[in-house]
Amino acid sequence: MLEVRDLQTGYGRIKILDGVNVSVAGGSIVTVLGGNGTGKSTLLKALSGLIPVWDGEILFDGESIANLRPDRIVNRGLIQVTQGKEAYPAMTVEENLMVGAFTRSDKQGIRRDLDKVYDYFPALQERRRQLSGTLSGGEVQMLVIGRGLMANPRMLMLDEPSAALAPQVVLNIFANVYRISQSGVTILLVEQNVRMALLLAGYGYIIRDGRVLIEGPAEELSGDESVKLSYLGGTVASREQMSS
Amino acid sequence: MEALLGFLIFGVTIGVVYGIVALGISLIYTGLDIVHFAHGEIYMFGAFLGLVFAHQYNVPYWLAILCAMIVTGLLGIVIERVFYRRLTRAGGGYTVAGMGMIICGFGMSVVLQNIAFLIWGADAEPFPVNFGMPYQIGEIFLPKSYVATAVAALVLMGGLHVFLKKTKIGLAVRAVAQNKDIAFLMGINVPLMISLIFGVACAIAAAAGVLIGPMQSVQVEMGYLMLMKAFAAAVVGGFGSLPGAILGGLLVGIFENLGAAYISGSHKDIYAFLLLILVLMFRPQGLFGVEAKVKA
Repeated sequence: MLEVRDLQTGYGRIKILDGVNVSVAGGSIVTVLGGNGTGKSTLLKALSGLIPVWDGEILFDGESIANLRPDRIVNRGLIQVTQGKEAYPAMTVEENLMVGAFTRSDKQGIRRDLDKVYDYFPALQERRRQLSGTLSGGEVQMLVIGRGLMANPRMLMLDEPSAALAPQVVLNIFANVYRISQSGVTILLVEQNVRMALLLAGYGYIIRDGRVLIEGPAEELSGDESVKLSYLGGTVASREQMSS
Repeated sequence: MEALLGFLIFGVTIGVVYGIVALGISLIYTGLDIVHFAHGEIYMFGAFLGLVFAHQYNVPYWLAILCAMIVTGLLGIVIERVFYRRLTRAGGGYTVAGMGMIICGFGMSVVLQNIAFLIWGADAEPFPVNFGMPYQIGEIFLPKSYVATAVAALVLMGGLHVFLKKTKIGLAVRAVAQNKDIAFLMGINVPLMISLIFGVACAIAAAAGVLIGPMQSVQVEMGYLMLMKAFAAAVVGGFGSLPGAILGGLLVGIFENLGAAYISGSHKDIYAFLLLILVLMFRPQGLFGVEAKVKA
């Protein structure tokens, strides 16, 4: 469904991604792992069209979406869910969700999806008239995922949904991400929480210094010793150097 | 007592007009991250256009307001697209482009003033509109033009409120004002919304110009003082807050008229800034301001 080939991009003149290859099959959950500053969020920004693609190709359903305007990409059904802190604090919960449905005009479908979001996250329904600035961290994360769902996505890209949340809340959110995937939405999950992400995903990529370091099925990756090291920021090579 | 009430009435009337201009300035500030220093000249253009429609084309006054709003709104959209777009795209606030934007605004104000000078000349043009005899309530005479101005301004505010709070496009405008990247990610055509914000802000400034016209007169330099007063109103109310802009406008209008009446009439224009300084000393975020945003 999504095919990223040799993607190069960055900010200004500074190159962040130096040839990234990622492939996501329809209906699957794929995770992209890596520590801070490895280029995970940059990858999502390039996929969503927020920053220009320097070189390489992004295919969604076989069609190139590289350097399209963000709203055009959204119209094709590829929706990015930003990190939890980025809701609209001065809008109510329901208004936030309705922003997600901006591109749609099917009133019944919007109503149905709103109910679906409230079904996934009952806490949002209780607080739907509250300003989203008053929500807890976990509720805001639920809100931004719900807002993404309101756009009726075919593929959802999640940017660190577990960041800065208590384990119990993370569990709830990941369980719902699984439910969303079961409903037929393809998921690209960008995470630092390696253990949780590999539990949920079928396939994983580990990026470091703007390149894919390791990739493979999730079970293989969770058993791989070097995964832990690269996630912690070390490399196999540096460990060998240290012991010698 | 009657005198005080009279001053209050005039203060409120002029205050709502300050308020709607401040509303436009706040709207642009939240939407484009810039302070638009040419907004006074947009207001002046609106006043002249209203005069042209009312007296050259003999359009009824109310319709002249509407026509001036539409034409000025379109003018604003053209100005934003052609001149401001490149700068705002490079970033507002305390960036180099943000500083460039402020200078660009000043430049635009000079350019618009000179264009108006070439078209309409430097003389103050009277804008007579016959509203009929004033209302009489007890000892107080309430000119109908005041009532009309206040009502028109309230209708505009109400309309803007409904537009922003109840319509889908209004929701998108608020989304763009709060966070452009997320608005983009939700499929909103951000550049289009920015044009719309700018156009609406210019249109309501034009309405203010046509409303003030009959009370004062229409002249090329009228924009400068209005910009300063509206700016004071926006800061007093809390920059970027729309209810704050209205409240700030009312406060500035009442404050300066009471000051002119009871302290000294020859320093009328100082009181607005006195109020501005007082608010900045004791409540720098303004009366309705909630957060200190880092924007130029």
